[in-house]
Amino acid sequence: MRLLVVEDERDLAETLRKVFDEEGFAVDVAFDGEEGLFKITETAYDAVILDLMLPRLDGWRVLASARTARVRVPVLLLTARDSLDDRVRGLNLGADDYVIKPFALPELVARVRALVRRAYDAPFPTLVLGALTIDTAARRVLREGLQVDLTAREYAILELLTHQQGRLVTRSTICEHLYDENTDVLSNVVDVHIAALRRKLGADVIRTRRGEGYMIDA
Amino acid sequence: MLDSLRARLLLWYALILAMVIVAFAGTVCYLFWRSLVRDIDANLRADAVTIVRALHPAGPDGFDLDLPAQYSDPELVDRTIRMEYAVWNNRGELIDRSDVSIEGPPPVRSTPATAGQWRELSSGGPQGVTILVRRDLDDARSAVLSLGGTVTAAGAAALALSLVGGWFLAGRVLSPIARISRVATAMAAGDLTARIPTDRTENELEQVALALNEGFDQLHRAAERERRFTADASHELRTPLATMCAEVDWALMRDRTPAEYRQTAEICRRAINRMQRIVEGLLLLARGDPASSPFQWLPVTLTAIVRDAVILLTPLATQKGIAIETRLDEVTLRGDADRLTDLVLNLVSNAIEYNKPGGSVRITLWADDTDTHLSVADTGIGIPAEHLPRIFERFYRADESRTRGSGGAGLGLAIAKWIVDAHRGQLECRTSAGQGTEMLVRLPAPDYSSSSSRVTNVSSSVLTARTVSGWLRSTPARARRFIG
Repeated sequence: MRLLVVEDERDLAETLRKVFDEEGFAVDVAFDGEEGLFKITETAYDAVILDLMLPRLDGWRVLASARTARVRVPVLLLTARDSLDDRVRGLNLGADDYVIKPFALPELVARVRALVRRAYDAPFPTLVLGALTIDTAARRVLREGLQVDLTAREYAILELLTHQQGRLVTRSTICEHLYDENTDVLSNVVDVHIAALRRKLGADVIRTRRGEGYMIDA
Repeated sequence: MLDSLRARLLLWYALILAMVIVAFAGTVCYLFWRSLVRDIDANLRADAVTIVRALHPAGPDGFDLDLPAQYSDPELVDRTIRMEYAVWNNRGELIDRSDVSIEGPPPVRSTPATAGQWRELSSGGPQGVTILVRRDLDDARSAVLSLGGTVTAAGAAALALSLVGGWFLAGRVLSPIARISRVATAMAAGDLTARIPTDRTENELEQVALALNEGFDQLHRAAERERRFTADASHELRTPLATMCAEVDWALMRDRTPAEYRQTAEICRRAINRMQRIVEGLLLLARGDPASSPFQWLPVTLTAIVRDAVILLTPLATQKGIAIETRLDEVTLRGDADRLTDLVLNLVSNAIEYNKPGGSVRITLWADDTDTHLSVADTGIGIPAEHLPRIFERFYRADESRTRGSGGAGLGLAIAKWIVDAHRGQLECRTSAGQGTEMLVRLPAPDYSSSSSRVTNVSSSVLTARTVSGWLRSTPARARRFIG
């Protein structure tokens, strides 16, 4: 899952980066509104955490511009502005959630996960795939009740494919959702992860459409 | 409250009106009574004349009384004029009388008088004859009573009618007060947008309402400023608080390496520094209330303050590669040395902070006949024109990232403005984008008439004893506040 954090307070932005990195997200950071808006419109994020009081272009305008440009990404406003007017205005501008600073970190993570689930139209925190059970909150995979040991990347690919069950997912889409902007990806790295997943979960779980991408059958 | 006022107003009104009506009715009845009595008196005189004419001498000392029927026929008399008479001769012997109850003879008075139910006239006639005529006053009395009754009834009706009118009138007069009272109650309950409707300008109370509305406006603006200030302050404090919360939450999620813990501590330290600066600035502004911390109005040498500030800030300027140039005249004025020090440190550190690398800060201090001028000019990026009107507001930042990066709390210029205002001076900002900013302080010249001889001594002792040693004692905290 790929996340954008738009926050001008650098310490907080870096903290959020490492927190969500640990939670298995690929995190990009923007320190002002213009940079944030550029990234939102250029990259297919799974969620955006957006501050309101930003230099150059404030969060309101970033949000409004993104929605005007028909960007569908779920947006969580993270701000010290706590008045009812601000909250209502933010949600009416197209935000999906509103969290007031200071916040409890576990709650912020849970809310971002909820946004991602909603965006994929997958309200169930536990996904079942034949003999496999995927617990998205704990990021664990059980096969017939036994935990399967997956790396963070492998898990992320499995979750992405499961969310898009029955649909083809291209290699570049997988890269986009798995790696942040600072990581150079070798073209065959996805194939390597897929091979590992097949070894651990069984060869028939993920199907290859040669030259196009991967999919999990519905 | 207002209803009782209305009732009291009405009560007084009724009382006065009742007194007027009673006085009027009394006067009318009295005048009527007098005119009736005058008529009776005239009739009595006519009666006496008639009797005198009807006396015919008979015998040596005797008389015959030959009255017309309207006087002599008792039934007729009783039905019409109700007059009684008696006539005595000069020896006091009764000649004739119409009623046995008349005793006499009475002394001759020749003016009518009232005796009981009668009005009587005793007059002399020919040859020592005494004549008494009297008429009953009952008719007159009942006529007056009847008139009195009528007047009283009419008066009561008028009183009742005017009471009803007065109740409405009082309500009308008091209704603006009721409006004012309603609005004041709403204000007290917290609705600061409530205003007294002022459409009927002919009313004197409208002036009161306008004045009150003006007061309410000011109250509203002050409350609005206070609310925004509180909101801004809480916003400013929340951001570093959020950083600390998130960082500490992250550190506690699982075991971390010592390097990670160190990083967490460093981030928290930075957040704490920022909160500390904000809180210190807020306290300084809160102490702006002169009642809580009075200014020390003493003669101070501003030149010395500027020099010390430059010495204190030179390391920072050097670190940023910025040169400080000064051209300072010797200027002494009356003011608060600590606050003026804050002011100069603030302006100069801003000029260093928002400068270009390799730029300069030029500080000029001079005085003319009326004012002291302090100019702090930098060669920085300037302040965009649209921000100029608001730069002295608390927490206002022309550029969020710039100030955040250097850790300012957005209070510096608000504090500077406040200090200059307290010295009855003016703080101006001249800026052109890309060329730099000049902050110009103008302070009024002191009044030397009282203690000019002490100026130098006091000011130097103030500076050495309080200001400079104060800086040395608290340099890290104090300098951080302005430098950071």
